[in-house]
Amino acid sequence: MTVKVEVGAGGIPHNQILIYGLVGSLVLIYLTYLNVIFDTTVFSFLGGLGAVAALVWGTDTIKHLCSYGLGTGVPSAGMIALGSGVVAMLLATTTGILAPIVALIVSAIVGAIAGFLANKVVRMDIPVMIMSLTELAIVGALTLLGFAVMVGGTFDFLGLAVGTTTFLGFTVESYAASVIGGSIVAVLFMLGAIAIQHSFNACLGPGEQQDRTLMLAAECGFLSMIVISVMSFAFIGFIPAVISLVVSVAGWYYTYAKYIELSKRDAYAWLDAKPILEPKGGA
Amino acid sequence: MSALGGPAQTGGVQQPTAIGIVGGLVLIIIALAIAFFVVQMAGLIALIGIIIGGVLVAFGVHFVPVGGAPAAMGQAPGIATGVAMLAAGAGLAGLFGGAWAAEFGLAVALAGGAVGGGLMMAITCLMVNVTYIFGMGIPAASGKVDKDPITGDTFPAYKSQGTEGHGLPFISYVGGVIGGTLGGLGGTLIYLMLLGVYEEVLPVTLNASVEEIAPVAVSLAGIFAVGMFLVNAVLAAYNITGTIEGPHDPKFKRFPRAVIAAAVASAVTGIVAIMLVGVL
Repeated sequence: MTVKVEVGAGGIPHNQILIYGLVGSLVLIYLTYLNVIFDTTVFSFLGGLGAVAALVWGTDTIKHLCSYGLGTGVPSAGMIALGSGVVAMLLATTTGILAPIVALIVSAIVGAIAGFLANKVVRMDIPVMIMSLTELAIVGALTLLGFAVMVGGTFDFLGLAVGTTTFLGFTVESYAASVIGGSIVAVLFMLGAIAIQHSFNACLGPGEQQDRTLMLAAECGFLSMIVISVMSFAFIGFIPAVISLVVSVAGWYYTYAKYIELSKRDAYAWLDAKPILEPKGGA
Repeated sequence: MSALGGPAQTGGVQQPTAIGIVGGLVLIIIALAIAFFVVQMAGLIALIGIIIGGVLVAFGVHFVPVGGAPAAMGQAPGIATGVAMLAAGAGLAGLFGGAWAAEFGLAVALAGGAVGGGLMMAITCLMVNVTYIFGMGIPAASGKVDKDPITGDTFPAYKSQGTEGHGLPFISYVGGVIGGTLGGLGGTLIYLMLLGVYEEVLPVTLNASVEEIAPVAVSLAGIFAVGMFLVNAVLAAYNITGTIEGPHDPKFKRFPRAVIAAAVASAVTGIVAIMLVGVL
């Protein structure tokens, strides 16, 4: 009763993707602060792009971790990533401009402790466990923070928790019509979880190629962005929401077309009917 | 490189390392101290409630019959999906069951959560057996024990060769319902504890009435409960590694490790959730 998880060799080294993903995601989420500087919400879509950068990095981490064989399937790694990420992300939103940095630090601590428990108490004894769960928790926190900025236009707690609603022609502040009060965070949670769980789970097996897996991760991220940009019509202005929608659809179309192209490439590579090689020592 | 049963599978149960237990205890004590410092006695009680809730979730997960991919092909007993997914399903069903009853007091809400989680697992187990028996035409037979501990049914004659058993025997069904009940109870307890803290502190910090901040408090407590629930469920899943048939499975004896891990993980995530009101 074993299932082989096979990962292709080669591709970009994991550490390089880690740096690109981390820096890219942080920079893009910080760029949404232009919203506050120019008193607008047109830059909200940058948060979603930051989330996609984090998702691509997270998918490579999952690939790295799951090649050791967890025994629980690939999606569980995505679940613990988003579970520890959402806790850190919500605490971080209360720290104003420091939010992305605080999200990174708090989620790293929570993730490292989860990895420590998995290795030392549950006795998984997987060498990359602590590092991987730390990375995944950061990915979860940055993904949710990016999506929250995209839907709400800000990463400040009060901005996310206080919305405005029109009552008898007067605009009044309402806690219910906000990103947090309206439980939009729960939807963001699931959209992020689907995006991070799916790609490696779909691509693993013989002939897995890193560029194809990561392209699917980006595609899933943009797919989630489309839904989020539709929800953002309720919270940010009409024009900024349309910009978000256009960016998401364009990004999704590009990555989808690219993914299909890469899939055809890899399918063609199998055309010579090579036998599926059993790994040494059996499955 | 194998996905299921990857880590070293020795005969006995590997005990937690000393550094793991000591480090865990230190983390719990630090978390309790911070909780007392941030929200005084209410925070301390809330964090203890969260830890108990997390432990219930992790313990409950071990009762649930999880079959994974082999069960989907009728080659192993249990429900054909992963531990984390089943735990999330049972826990969230329980959480929704308990959350609507929050206003009726702790006892009713906890009972609502437990019944919600148990009911979800009961329906799932029933439909799984309907699919197995009437859809796939296979009888329920455990691969781990020869006799059902409750009904006394014998299994070996019904077990197909080359499989680890199939279907969902009565003991697994009972385990599933117990697991769902404990999971729903734990998830609801976490939610209620956090809701209590937020409803007490948020009106002061946001300068609004309890009714006005109710959506924020409910939403925050709910999403934090979901996050903590998933962390605990995945740690329990890592403890089980793969499949488990229910309380009669030898793997069930591993649960003390998951209980320790869940207590520490709940303390750490719980203190982050409580600190939110301290930072605000």
